[in-house]
Amino acid sequence: MTAAHPLLSVRDLTVTVEDGDTPRTLLDTVSLDLNRGEILGLVGESGSGKSLFCRSLVGLLPSRSLKRTGGAVLLDGQDIAGASAVELQAIRGARIGMIFQNPTSHLDPVMRIGDQITEGIRFHQGLGGVEARTAALEIMAQVGFTDPPRQFSNYAHEFSGGMRQRAMIAIALACNPEILIADEPTTALDVTIQAQILTLLLEIRKARGLSIILITHDLGVVAQTCDRIAVMRHGRLIEVGEKRRILSAPAEAYTQALIASHPSMPAEVAPGRSPQSEIVSPRPRALVEIDDLHVRFPVGGGLLSRRKTFSAVGGVSLQILPGETVGIVGESGSGKSTLARAMLGLTPLSEGHVTFDGHSLSLKRAETLKALHSQAAMVFQDPYNSLNPRLTIGETLAEVLRVHRKVPDAAINARVGELLDLVELDRSFAARKPRSLSGGQCQRAGIARALAVEPRLIVADECIAALDVTIQAQIVALFRKLVATMELTLVFIAHDLAVVRSLCQRVVVMHHGRIVEEGPSDRVFSAPSQAYTANLIAAIPDIDPDRPLSGAPLSSPLTKGQPA
Amino acid sequence: MHRYRFILTRPLQFLPVIFGVSIITFVLVRLIPGDPARVLLGARATPTAIANVRAQFGLDEPIWMQYFYFLQNLLKGEMGKSITYKIDVLPLIATRIEPTLALVFSAVLLSVLIAVPLAALAARNHGRPVDHLVRVVSTFGIGFPPFWVALMLILLLAVAFPVLPVSGYGSTLGDKLVHLILPSLTIALSLSTVLMRSLRAAIVEWLKSDVATAARARGMPESIVFWRHVLPNAVAPTINLLAVNIGWLIGGTVVVESVFALPGMGQLLVRAIFSRDYMVVQGVAMVFACATVLVNFLADIATVAADPRVKL
Repeated sequence: MTAAHPLLSVRDLTVTVEDGDTPRTLLDTVSLDLNRGEILGLVGESGSGKSLFCRSLVGLLPSRSLKRTGGAVLLDGQDIAGASAVELQAIRGARIGMIFQNPTSHLDPVMRIGDQITEGIRFHQGLGGVEARTAALEIMAQVGFTDPPRQFSNYAHEFSGGMRQRAMIAIALACNPEILIADEPTTALDVTIQAQILTLLLEIRKARGLSIILITHDLGVVAQTCDRIAVMRHGRLIEVGEKRRILSAPAEAYTQALIASHPSMPAEVAPGRSPQSEIVSPRPRALVEIDDLHVRFPVGGGLLSRRKTFSAVGGVSLQILPGETVGIVGESGSGKSTLARAMLGLTPLSEGHVTFDGHSLSLKRAETLKALHSQAAMVFQDPYNSLNPRLTIGETLAEVLRVHRKVPDAAINARVGELLDLVELDRSFAARKPRSLSGGQCQRAGIARALAVEPRLIVADECIAALDVTIQAQIVALFRKLVATMELTLVFIAHDLAVVRSLCQRVVVMHHGRIVEEGPSDRVFSAPSQAYTANLIAAIPDIDPDRPLSGAPLSSPLTKGQPA
Repeated sequence: MHRYRFILTRPLQFLPVIFGVSIITFVLVRLIPGDPARVLLGARATPTAIANVRAQFGLDEPIWMQYFYFLQNLLKGEMGKSITYKIDVLPLIATRIEPTLALVFSAVLLSVLIAVPLAALAARNHGRPVDHLVRVVSTFGIGFPPFWVALMLILLLAVAFPVLPVSGYGSTLGDKLVHLILPSLTIALSLSTVLMRSLRAAIVEWLKSDVATAARARGMPESIVFWRHVLPNAVAPTINLLAVNIGWLIGGTVVVESVFALPGMGQLLVRAIFSRDYMVVQGVAMVFACATVLVNFLADIATVAADPRVKL
């Protein structure tokens, strides 16, 4: 069954931006085919042009200063690159549907979900209100809404992240398009929800013969779902080919690096400060001791009604020994960030005790906070928003040094230089502001700020979640180096279990504000004792295509066309 | 729906606000130098006559006793007797409510009618000459003080080209509306610019938002993207701004009613202050305060209706 031509054929697509004197090329003669019923994985780091490529296919360039300056986009043999606005409107939604990374920001918050689904049906297919509603309810059932008639009238904020992405998929599929462009559809989701959404996409492809372009930076996702892989970098397509060929024998050095940095690769085992953790006699005193900790937040309630509370952390006990590297994992809402904040005295404790280096936060709050401020530091998830945009990196670091009187004033500049060396940033970065730094550089600056305190404890809260996979690997390597060379206790919070496995000696799995399992990383990951942990691990998309996603039907057409 | 339950509970929170307002207005009025009895009787009144009038209106009592009587009257639905008009304050105010209410309503309506299309026009042409023109013109609207604008409008539209009445208020409905045009235009010229700027900024943001991109990606034409997705999201912050401004506007009618000789509460208030008519000043201030609280309450309801995420 060889069609005369691919469903979508892109030839030499070029997009330039004119924001200065000389136009810059953002997409450089990209040529790519999408076959009928195929899932094409488009991978590359942020800024590689993969999202821009997909948007320019349907004429949705994000700014007026961007222009398509060359190339053709053939949809079923017809060139749509130069199509008028009206022609493109008839294609968008009806023939090419799109879903996006962040369903929360892409769904209209003040419009019912059902109305957003029927909007396209009514516009493209000209159906009336009742028929459109019937069609929408059917789609909603297909993408996994449990009670479509009721959920039709709900708003986006009343759904979980996973359900919001299902709603986006329902909107995109409402008009039965031939092509679905999925732009990082699972990046903002927990690993178990990600597995569900990917499985859903595979089922839809099977049921409808849909062709999908799946944009992602996670090669694990690609390995589990796609038929072919295209790798982009700096606005160019550098490699494209059959999935197994690319994963097993990548031709380009960049593709090799991308594969090598995937955290599910058989990583070096966490640098256990060796048998120290198995010492029988005298057990060192814990640096942080958490005893039956409860943290509750008030929700709702008012002047007259009784206050209700939400329990973010409910009865957690944990000891962290000096020099230990502890990973805390769990899905969003599991209470891991609240636990970290409580550990540093950043959130009020409702019940229980937190003791840092012998000082109890509930008994001697002021004294303990003083100890925490001078001996503990935090690294945050969003590197840009956690640095003051008005201060240069040097000023930010100097401020910490000055406040804590770690070095005499005269030596501050020298110390700032040392800190930058420590996080492997060039000393010239001291004069730059966060705005002019990349995400990875910014996060290094954030780590340098934490190190400026000369802390015994660093708490890193999802500090790599916002970074590209190659940058993630670099930051993890930096942490590994710091832990190995300094007297540092690290609490590393992440929802990415593979990263935790490669970095931490001990792992704590949290669920609904409680610890469900804890133990040495090797043991927990290879032989989890709790079903919840096992599910969490099974949901990680492995870069090996022969280890299927948990929950994915074994009969999934993944292996179609594979040589026997 | 329980999202709207605050409509029942919120008014209870108004009671302490109104109570506080009553204390403040009561005390502030008495801080104005001068004695109502002396103002009423003139400069040559005898001390005995003054003492009589003071006793008649309870002004010889200690201030807390006066406040106690005031509260007592308030609970009975009365606000005392006007010293100058010699009638009960509440019926007096009632005759003055209509022009003020009509003025505020028409001014707000006019402001919205000016602001929304201009904001839409400017935002949809963001960064182009039309946008700059609208912003420059709106800067003038903010820059000129209302009383000056009022006088210029009178000179232009009532004196140089006498198409509209200079001042006063009519007796028939049509006549009243004609008399309201200049005063409400005066207010709308400054109010609409404030609304316009806020709305324009919000529309610019929402036009760039992911919500708009997603709507375009499902093939919606730009007009649907704007009317169905951008505008409903962009109005929410402007509703609260409008409420704050209406509160300010209710007090602002004092100036406009004086300039245009509209027989409303603002005008009544100014005269009552000059004649030290404590009861009337208190009464009008209480009505203004209650109106402001009410407007904010209505704005809360509108906000909840406009955005399903808001919970009060």
